[in-house]
Amino acid sequence: MADLIRRPEPMQSSPRSSPRDRGSRSPAYPRQDSSGTLKTTISLVPGKTPSVIHTGSFYLVKDIPDEADITGSTNLLSYYNLEHSYNRFLNKKVKEELSAFLPHLPGNIDSPGIQDNSSLRSLIEKIPIMNKDMNQLSGSALSGFRLHPGALPEQYQTMNQMTQKKKKHKRKSKEADKGSALQLAQDISTADNLSAEPEARKPKRPKREDEPKDPKKKKKKDKKKKKKHSPDTTAANGAEAAT
Amino acid sequence: MAEKFEALEQQLELFIENTRQMGIIVSDFQPQGQNVLNQKIQTMVTEMNEIDKMRSQIENVHVPMEVFDYIDQGRNPNLYTKDCLEKALAKNEHVKGKTDNLKRFKAMLLVELSKVFPSEMEMYRALKQGRGPT
Repeated sequence: MADLIRRPEPMQSSPRSSPRDRGSRSPAYPRQDSSGTLKTTISLVPGKTPSVIHTGSFYLVKDIPDEADITGSTNLLSYYNLEHSYNRFLNKKVKEELSAFLPHLPGNIDSPGIQDNSSLRSLIEKIPIMNKDMNQLSGSALSGFRLHPGALPEQYQTMNQMTQKKKKHKRKSKEADKGSALQLAQDISTADNLSAEPEARKPKRPKREDEPKDPKKKKKKDKKKKKKHSPDTTAANGAEAAT
Repeated sequence: MAEKFEALEQQLELFIENTRQMGIIVSDFQPQGQNVLNQKIQTMVTEMNEIDKMRSQIENVHVPMEVFDYIDQGRNPNLYTKDCLEKALAKNEHVKGKTDNLKRFKAMLLVELSKVFPSEMEMYRALKQGRGPT
């Protein structure tokens, strides 16, 4: 037993740091385990295989760490007040197309960006030239943009196609800002289609008198349908059928 | 931060609108439209400069790369948020199941050990009580 070696405690790893406790650390006396760590004694007797002697009553009696505020068992959505977003996205059907997210954007944006080399990833992978001043074009430079009169072939007239689509979106979407520049553009676009002057802005077309009547008609129809399906009417119908 | 985004959004909207108007002019070009087109080109340069100036205001904005993939595929980026929420909820439920099961296992183990080793478990409990919550 003379060769018994105590495993040093973590706090007393350096012999210099704990010279006072040396006398009280004799392995001959049993000690109360208060640290929570597993205390073991390893006997290294020459000629015999080394054996481990456990001095405590229990193994692995460690202090349980303080419970964290957030654990895997807490509902993280409610913890971060994301229930509203969750209900918004999961209970309602989210439209797949990008144009549903950006309804005001002109052009066909639903097609993959790789097709027309307009992907955002390519913007990151091939960073464009930056830190260069952009100056106004001189008169001679602008002469390079002198165009011949005439319409483009239909396949290149993507703008007109989108304006028709946008009208539909405009009627459906309620959240659209009336004062935004893009909506003004829609008015311009309608004016552009009618006149050659693209800058001319026309006032918004007043609503037709027929339009507001439509929802009322629908409501009336719904009421009629409801009446048909209501238990009273079915009962009455049943009575009539019986007679 | 939201104000900065709004300013950028407005600037981008103006730029897009200007470009769209240019597209309309070009698609059915009339000779009298040349001056308007020239003006639009100059406006385009000005607006690009304005957008470039805003670069310094909007720094340290982290956007997940996956969002770009969604946009590049012509998909609604809200679907990314939706997928993230779904994944988070599924993972949360999975971990909650694990922790709940471990708690149940611990309680059952203590009960069974108390049946087989009553004296040792009493000692164990006394030891744990002296130390803090079990």
